[in-house]
Amino acid sequence: MGAKDVKPTRSELIDLKKKIKLSEGGHKLLKMKRDGLILEFFDILSKAKDVRSELDAAYEKANEKIGIAESVEGRMTVKSTAFAMKDAPQIELESHNIMGVVVPKIESSSVRKPINKRGYGILGTSSYIDEAVDSYEILVEKIILAAEIETTMKKLLDDIEKTKRRVNALEFKVIPELKEGMSFISLRLEEMERENTFRLKRIKA
Amino acid sequence: MELAVVGNSEFVTGFRLAGVKKIYEAKDDELESMVTKVLKDSDVGIFVMHGDDVNKLPEILRDTLSESVEPTVVTLGGTGESSNLREKIKQSVGVDLWK
Repeated sequence: MGAKDVKPTRSELIDLKKKIKLSEGGHKLLKMKRDGLILEFFDILSKAKDVRSELDAAYEKANEKIGIAESVEGRMTVKSTAFAMKDAPQIELESHNIMGVVVPKIESSSVRKPINKRGYGILGTSSYIDEAVDSYEILVEKIILAAEIETTMKKLLDDIEKTKRRVNALEFKVIPELKEGMSFISLRLEEMERENTFRLKRIKA
Repeated sequence: MELAVVGNSEFVTGFRLAGVKKIYEAKDDELESMVTKVLKDSDVGIFVMHGDDVNKLPEILRDTLSESVEPTVVTLGGTGESSNLREKIKQSVGVDLWK
């Protein structure tokens, strides 16, 4: 909205004043929201870094264990054991709210199973396979944790970006334009008043 | 909801051992169709892929994966996920805080 688009009337001036007050209030609130989100983000960031490094370490360990199991037992034995596994890990997505951002909370079940409930025979397989299964179960646990934290971080980042855009739009576009319009109207009204006084003086003379 | 894993047979075997049922073995040329299929599956909550496999996908699909919340995509190995997050942090906060 440019200054030239506004009608220089008193009612328009009152409207603009109301809009400026509202925009400034909104701007202040959004700035507070942005700062709050950034604080939350800092909390999550350190957790995310830790989880990522733990996840990478767990993946490396799991790879190592399955490598050993495959070299000792043979790839086919490991594969056939893998096909015998019974319960799949289940996850449940719940949500909670961080300053208006809905973030997931992931609950998991049947990730780590006791050795006798895994589905393969204990006698027919070696401890190398058990170790590989253990390390992959730990990896799945870490994956679930990483998924929760990284999704939270993505959502927070999205919202920080959105709020930042809004704050900037209000600060550098909306409020200055409204103020420009308001000063245009007050100048125009003053000008009209001076013209009126001059006209009256001319008529009197 | 369940976990889903897409990748070559070496990558997915371990997850079979952990009991994951939604396992999709895919060669390089089948990756794209498999990923699209998994993304459409509403029963998948977490989607696991190898970082190198993610890098083989077209850029549009890579962007979809990095933006996806349901299912949440977790990449293992390579530099995929952490560099994605790093870029996102730089873009949103303006500073590279992932150091």
